[in-house]
Amino acid sequence: MNSTLKRTTFFTLLLALALLPLIQPPTYFLSFIFKVFLYVILSASWNLIGGFAGYLSFGHVAFFGIGVYVSAMLFQQLAVSPFLGAIPAGLFAGLVAWIIGYPCLRLRGPYFAVVTLCFAFIADLVVKNWSFLGGSEGIHLKLVQMDIQFSRSLFYEIFLCLAGVTVYTLRKIQTSKFGLGLASIREDEEVAQTLCIPTARLKTRAFVLSAFFPGVAGGIYAYYISYVHPDIVFDINISILIVLMALFGGGRSWEGPVIGAVSLSIVNEFLSIFIRPEFARIIYGTMFMVVIIFMPDGIVPFLKRNAKPRSGVIDSSMAGGS
Amino acid sequence: MWNPVVILQSIVSGILMGGIFALFGVGFSLTWGVMKVINIAHAAFGILAAYVAYWGLTVFGIDPILSLAVSLPLLFCAGVLIHRFLVQPITRSRDVVVASMVLTFGLAIVLENLMLLAWSPDERLITTGYSSTSIFLGDIIIRISNLLAFVLSMVGIGAIYLFLYRTRTGKAVRATWQDPEGAALQGINLRRVSMITFGMAIASSGAGGVAMAYMYSFNPPAHNLWLIFLFLVVIVGGVGSILGSAVAGLIIGVIIGLSGAFFPMQWVNVLLFGLLMGILLIKPEGLFRK
Repeated sequence: MNSTLKRTTFFTLLLALALLPLIQPPTYFLSFIFKVFLYVILSASWNLIGGFAGYLSFGHVAFFGIGVYVSAMLFQQLAVSPFLGAIPAGLFAGLVAWIIGYPCLRLRGPYFAVVTLCFAFIADLVVKNWSFLGGSEGIHLKLVQMDIQFSRSLFYEIFLCLAGVTVYTLRKIQTSKFGLGLASIREDEEVAQTLCIPTARLKTRAFVLSAFFPGVAGGIYAYYISYVHPDIVFDINISILIVLMALFGGGRSWEGPVIGAVSLSIVNEFLSIFIRPEFARIIYGTMFMVVIIFMPDGIVPFLKRNAKPRSGVIDSSMAGGS
Repeated sequence: MWNPVVILQSIVSGILMGGIFALFGVGFSLTWGVMKVINIAHAAFGILAAYVAYWGLTVFGIDPILSLAVSLPLLFCAGVLIHRFLVQPITRSRDVVVASMVLTFGLAIVLENLMLLAWSPDERLITTGYSSTSIFLGDIIIRISNLLAFVLSMVGIGAIYLFLYRTRTGKAVRATWQDPEGAALQGINLRRVSMITFGMAIASSGAGGVAMAYMYSFNPPAHNLWLIFLFLVVIVGGVGSILGSAVAGLIIGVIIGLSGAFFPMQWVNVLLFGLLMGILLIKPEGLFRK
């Protein structure tokens, strides 16, 4: 597929998605795609630090939760409009990432994973026990009454935009100098340092940026659910899910988290409709094992590798060799 | 509140609890240290053994400790099989730590839901005939079942220690932990060593799970919480160190016991996670690693 055709397909798909609410699909369907967009945003932004730089953050849900709480508090205390509140929410999440990133990003591998996991637990527990933030009772947001179909369509469009911006940023970064620096950190941080790559600065920048988008998404999500509770927005399973989505699709490229998030959300939804949740979860768990054993780099690199020999010169040479 | 009896009591129960964390964490620490495999499903195997023990007790009236005689060899075999068919294929991947975490996370989901199907999500507690009896040391109360669980844990850790430091295979395991390539050059079969390590780790998790079940109620999703304790033990004690895990388990137990006496319960967890974060940031190689 040449690049013009690729681009045309891409924009057609995007336009089709943007126009979808006009044909008045069922509300359930809109809410489902909204959830898919949310996971695309979360796992694509996670991929900046987790996939590109190889620093597995298991606490990313904390940035999402912080975003939710910042915009919920701004609305409740200062009556700032939900959609304006999302920007400070993202900025605040980025600020928190900058503060905790400074000490935590010195740790590598599983240690970084555990320290970020702890951070997510602490954020959850602090919010739950702090009465100013609603404590374990949560916050009810009194919103303007809107037609359900209209409000779902509105949130759908906003998240489509945000997902588009996140994925576009990820794609730009992948081929930029910044992205290459992150890739060098993932491959071998010591060598990267000896080549004068400012690894500490790049890691911090990637971490802050990867916290910003979940913060913004959380800021909008607060109004979508309109009842904010730590168990919902600091749920550690979301954290784990976004990591798995990105790794499932393949963390080295921008396509990976998008494909991982879309496919896993669809599989999850279908399984939980048709069979008992326990069986659905068993199939889900088995899927992770199968993917990591047979396609350790994720689905996207696997598909690319297997699609290549079918076209062009490489095919004949490889067939001749084997 | 500052009553010495309260403090002593919480230290004693902390030590009893910590011994169990230690046994539970040893296997987790070994697979991490020797094979660079972080087994997220470790605690799930503990829960599985606890269910087998519970089942043996309620259906056949077998004492949980006796049921270990059946479940430990079975868990060892399960560990060997899992190693052969699931862990072995990923050891060639570029990043074993990440791959193993994803793999065993999948395994943990499968195990948890199989257990949910078999035993429902209701909370269970192992209660034997001697559960309600206690020993009194002055004003300090020690429940017999907790003491038994503690003794079981100490015996388990002692057995693993003797295996590692007094047998040839144990020596091979330690050599692999220190330097896999060097060990392979000396003719140590890495595959066999990691297979034994994995089987042993799963079996020790089973013993730890039964010991835990004496003290805490459990249900299939509880393994997530137990996993946090495992990470605490391993990170405080240093990855791969037996004595480190033992001491770390005791320290954590005492900290939980003491802080439980002085703070409201919900802040104890904040304290624990804060402690874990602090240790990771200041001394990530663990407090006891040489």
